[in-house]
Amino acid sequence: MLDILVSQIANGLVLGVIYVLIAVGLSITFGLLGVINFAHGAFFALGAYVGWQMFQLFGWPAVILAPPVVGLIGMAVEMILIRRLYGKEPLLSLIVTFALALLIEATIRYIWGAEGKPFNPPPLLAGIVEIGPLLITKYRVGVLVATTATLLGLWAFLAWTPYGRILRAGSRDPEMVELLGINLPRVLTAVFGLGCALAAVAGVLAAPLWTVSPSMAAGAVMPAFVVVAIGGLGSFRGAVVAGLAVGVVTSLTIQFKPDAAAASMYALMFAILLLRPRGLFGERWERFE
Amino acid sequence: MRSSISRRAAVAGAAALVVAGRMASAEDTGPVRIGLIYSKQGPGAAIGEFLQRGSELAVEQAGRKVLGRPIEITWLDEPNPQVSQQNMQRLIDENKVVAVVGGNYSSSALAMMSVAAREKIPLILPGAAASEITGKNCNRYTFRTQATVPVQMRGLMPYVAELGKNVYFLTPSYAFGQDILRSSRALLKDVGLIEVGVDEVPLNTPDYSSYILKIRQAKPDVIIGGLVGGDFSNFLKQWNEMGMRDRIPYAAVAVTDTDFWDVGAQASAGIYIKPWYYNNPKNSAVEKNMIADFQKKYNQPPSDKTWSGWIAMRALLESIEGAKSTDAKAIVTALERWRNTEEEIPFFFRDWDHQMVRPAVIVRVKKQITDKWDYFDVIKNTSQTEVETIKTFGDKEEIGCTIAQL
Repeated sequence: MLDILVSQIANGLVLGVIYVLIAVGLSITFGLLGVINFAHGAFFALGAYVGWQMFQLFGWPAVILAPPVVGLIGMAVEMILIRRLYGKEPLLSLIVTFALALLIEATIRYIWGAEGKPFNPPPLLAGIVEIGPLLITKYRVGVLVATTATLLGLWAFLAWTPYGRILRAGSRDPEMVELLGINLPRVLTAVFGLGCALAAVAGVLAAPLWTVSPSMAAGAVMPAFVVVAIGGLGSFRGAVVAGLAVGVVTSLTIQFKPDAAAASMYALMFAILLLRPRGLFGERWERFE
Repeated sequence: MRSSISRRAAVAGAAALVVAGRMASAEDTGPVRIGLIYSKQGPGAAIGEFLQRGSELAVEQAGRKVLGRPIEITWLDEPNPQVSQQNMQRLIDENKVVAVVGGNYSSSALAMMSVAAREKIPLILPGAAASEITGKNCNRYTFRTQATVPVQMRGLMPYVAELGKNVYFLTPSYAFGQDILRSSRALLKDVGLIEVGVDEVPLNTPDYSSYILKIRQAKPDVIIGGLVGGDFSNFLKQWNEMGMRDRIPYAAVAVTDTDFWDVGAQASAGIYIKPWYYNNPKNSAVEKNMIADFQKKYNQPPSDKTWSGWIAMRALLESIEGAKSTDAKAIVTALERWRNTEEEIPFFFRDWDHQMVRPAVIVRVKKQITDKWDYFDVIKNTSQTEVETIKTFGDKEEIGCTIAQL
């Protein structure tokens, strides 16, 4: 029993780490822009498809170009569409981004077709790792490493660089930031692009695990919202803790009661929100209250 | 007094108009409208696409005409049971279809069938293998082409028994999966197999790693599965990723080619039951023509779903021609008399439950896949003669269908 528990928990942490990556982008977009981006899952899928296309054209190393490409697409979307949602009621951003999600999924289906694209882990990372009771695939270890690096990099960027400080300040007090002579609209465009690029990183990492198909967005967007709700909107720390918690809870539920597995994350969300309605680390945002 | 006379006149006038309208639609020379309900998005999208291509091909081969009138097809989505049911209602109310071909998931099919019975519009299901569809839930207006779960499981079991004694079940958590469990458990004793574990997986699950860990721990000799579409593709991929592909064999029913094409040769393995295979040397000449047409149009071979969509539409069009009418009751009666003699064993819809009586084909993934599309070796059919086929589909008592009067 202990053997399988250890393996399931490790597996849950890896699953959770993917959820964290998907949720962090969503949390940043909400925290810094005040926009609930329902199209986040669609950018996740777009990242997977662009990554697959890069692989087809140029081989494995080119896959790393997918997140910047999707980030640029995200910036264009922000300039054309998203900036009109700032300061408006949250329901509007939900509806508009929901429509955007459908549009992106339909575009993916139009360009690449409805069938899935075979995409396997790189030969370097094929195979499994067995350490005592623990069984994990080499590729998932790679995902763990890559995600941790990305999250650390992101955190360092937000905490230590001047740009990161501007982003954080802009979310608290946009007027003051503008008064200080900083071009806020450009900052906001970059933030949305960053959120989309993070979704794309998650998409590229998940592509060899889950089938690359137009509907893969659905598998990402619901867990992302649940993780953000549990962790607290706009909280980086919250997204990390909540993501890992959702991953582990899902794995353990599969071990003991698989038919409840899909519902387990919602049950967790329900329990946490009853105790802490703003989520585990949710902060007060004057702007929204 | 004057107002009541004019009111009476108005009512009489309105009644006359209604009668005239009814008469006009009865001898309508306008298009014959047919509805399709296949998945356009989600994990079933690839399945829906191939089904639609098959139905479309049948319409084209009929010259886009039936009874000398042009055919108008409306294709609506099959995302979940509620919306599929609403879409069927829409097709009937707004598009005024004479019949509907559609329903790949048993859950959607069960919902759509109730609309068919209530509105008295014929529905032909090219997918949906759960037994209750032509069993205890059967109705006079619904027909089904795919072999039932019990028939497919009976075909698969002898091969499962060859692979070992301990069986682990990995089935989807809805009517179809529950039917697989029910039918298999009844057959296990006959072939001397033991159940060592079962997991009922919710639909749309993207990650199977935790399930695979459980299976690995139970150490079965073989897995009996029933995952569908994109879910099955995800599982195969992760099964291979975790090094299990060559360790424990996998057997399943009601799979389709796109499940495998979507993951590639590397991850594909196992033994399966499906309705049809494009590279079966025993395919009829008409089928070979269809394959060639499809290949020319889409640059790839048709999946079995294409065949299902094609044969369902052909049955409908041929029945409308045979009935010389688009009246629902006439179509139903014609479908009950419809028969196809192109294959080795003639097939038809059984009149007392509307189940198509036709063997399925048992296939195994090739050891070496060299062609981009040809993944399977055909082993044989689930039954070899007409008599055997009729027997495998069960008798009235087993099936439990009491079909109403027209």
